[in-house]
Amino acid sequence: MTNSIRELEDAKVIFVIGSNTTEAHPVISYYIKRAVKRGAILIVNDPRRIDLTEWATIHVQHKPGTDIAYINGLMNEIFKNGWEDKEYLKEHTENPDEIREWVKDYPVEKASEICGVPVETMKKVAKILGEAKVTSVCYTLGITEHICGTDNVKTLANLQMVLGNIGSYAGGLNPLRGQNNVQGACDMGALPNVYQTYQAVDNPAVREKFEKDWGVTGLSEKPGYKMPTMLHKALDGGTKILYCIGDNTVQTEPHIAHTIKEIEALEFFVCVDIFPTITTAYADVILPDCAWGEVDGTFTNTERRVQRIRKVLEPPGDVRPHWWVLQELAKRINGYDLGFTSEEAVFEDMRRASTSYAGITYERIEDVGLQWPCPTLEHPGTPLLHTSGNFTRGRGLFHHTVHIPPAEMPDAEYPFCLSTGRRLWHYHSATQTRNSVGLEELFPEELMEISPVDAERLGIKTGDVIKATSRRGEITLKAWVTDRSAPGVCWCAFHFVEACANTLTIDRFDPVTETAEYKVCAIKIEKVADGVEPVSWVPRQARP
Amino acid sequence: MNMDKTRLDQIFSDAIEREIEAYEFYLAVSQKVTNPDVKKTFAELALEELGHKELLARFKSDPVLLTKINIPSQDYKVSEATELPKFDINMKPADAIALAMKKEEEAVRFYRGMAAISEDAEVKSQFEYLAGMELGHKTRLENVFIGIGYPEVF
Repeated sequence: MTNSIRELEDAKVIFVIGSNTTEAHPVISYYIKRAVKRGAILIVNDPRRIDLTEWATIHVQHKPGTDIAYINGLMNEIFKNGWEDKEYLKEHTENPDEIREWVKDYPVEKASEICGVPVETMKKVAKILGEAKVTSVCYTLGITEHICGTDNVKTLANLQMVLGNIGSYAGGLNPLRGQNNVQGACDMGALPNVYQTYQAVDNPAVREKFEKDWGVTGLSEKPGYKMPTMLHKALDGGTKILYCIGDNTVQTEPHIAHTIKEIEALEFFVCVDIFPTITTAYADVILPDCAWGEVDGTFTNTERRVQRIRKVLEPPGDVRPHWWVLQELAKRINGYDLGFTSEEAVFEDMRRASTSYAGITYERIEDVGLQWPCPTLEHPGTPLLHTSGNFTRGRGLFHHTVHIPPAEMPDAEYPFCLSTGRRLWHYHSATQTRNSVGLEELFPEELMEISPVDAERLGIKTGDVIKATSRRGEITLKAWVTDRSAPGVCWCAFHFVEACANTLTIDRFDPVTETAEYKVCAIKIEKVADGVEPVSWVPRQARP
Repeated sequence: MNMDKTRLDQIFSDAIEREIEAYEFYLAVSQKVTNPDVKKTFAELALEELGHKELLARFKSDPVLLTKINIPSQDYKVSEATELPKFDINMKPADAIALAMKKEEEAVRFYRGMAAISEDAEVKSQFEYLAGMELGHKTRLENVFIGIGYPEVF
């Protein structure tokens, strides 16, 4: 996030797109709700009638996979009415004349045809954004999990620069990053092309620094593979060994049947997890791991805040923290002793060779976390980025983005669009939450959300058993007839392996990030049997 | 003011000379670099140094004014933790800001050093104020650097 979570409650206008905030980021949703209670205008842009829409001033229900057309249409209207931030464009952006020309390809009438949002609604939204002093934009995987995910994000960045909202309190461009520590994992270099704090693997000066710091030579100058490529290369022998830490790969990658083929093609597959999963079933070796309450360490949240976590329980049996296991492996594979004696020692080693974390110590975050950049021990951390209005490259560069239809659209054979996501009660592949009796009780099985219009046409009622089929597989689960889904759009999550959305999803990826298009694929729906259980609990328990 | 007027004048003359040197440096590099934003940054820094020169001229004529400047209460030492970037005609904006903050850091260190070796209390005090002034410049540049110097690029 360019800004901080708490700023959201002071926002005057909040534009949420592709984020089911109340279910995926419930704590952040409290700040948004507080802002609404204080009079903020909330624009929720989502193909589903998610619960946050009940707090929204406007719910824009655009078609899945049409974000670029929609946002470019808004920008066109903003320029047309002179609502752009002229001073900001002149002082802080590189090519304002180009963006003005590019979005002319998306008059609201044309954009409306593509995204399905009425012209009047688009004009109303553009007016609110154009006349607002500052708008905060929040987005999540509804933006990134498309074959055009990178361009979706660039389009939002274009919008915020056109409006001059970068570097402003309660404004900015704010990806609400999923999972408790995905920000921290990226910061630590759990990526194929960077060391900690985004120091590039292919930068000779960076390599030299780490070789000197670690007392080694020959660090690779080539970035590694991203995960889809890593798996794909198993099929031609390019990937022979996979060491998988805390990732239920089979259940969470798209097109499960294909993922299984990739994993089966590996020569050696090691899984590290706290419970058995469908992925551990394919492992040659399974190593246990500590759960989050059994280790010390840090989590870094989406606002770049590094926070301490503490061990409250002893891990079962001989289970060791995984930094210790990796250290032992290093010793046994090539005799290299990393020499760490604690989590704090690992953090200190990382911190000293980092840039933006260099001023963060366990002592400093004993009570309250610090937000990076925090480059020195004296620095108080940075809640808000780009306050000077400038960017790393100098002035902001607008990118030309155009609408690209999803890789697989509904057709006569597979007439429904399936979109996927998360539910409040379960976390990711539910490795942890399905081992929690209370949560399993609250939401015990996956449901396919289907609109009342489509359900009536197909003779389906809530609780009926249905079969959902895509070109890649089929799942059987119960129907939930709800106006959360627009006609023609179905929705389910990937928490339940026995009825997992990823059996159906398509393995097509954004070319830059290699993020899969989890949000759109084509399916058909058939009724298998009448519901046999009372289903009155469904809406109550499914909704937060 | 008990301090010898000639000595005080010399302190400010030297300080003004440093600002002129900085102005000439930024002006020269602004003409060499290729990135238009870096060019603009250095040109703006050159103008700032001219402003500092004017300010020092005012202090020279009325040294009491120097005691009224705002000195940052904290030194976050961002510059000290940053490597001095090599001058390169293709340098990036963050490197330009880093170069400038390192120059301000050097100025702070210079005046603090002068204060440390000054035996006369008033001379010491004037050098400390000058160090404080340069610390303000350093802090401003550090704040700019924080916003752009740690990109999350992967």
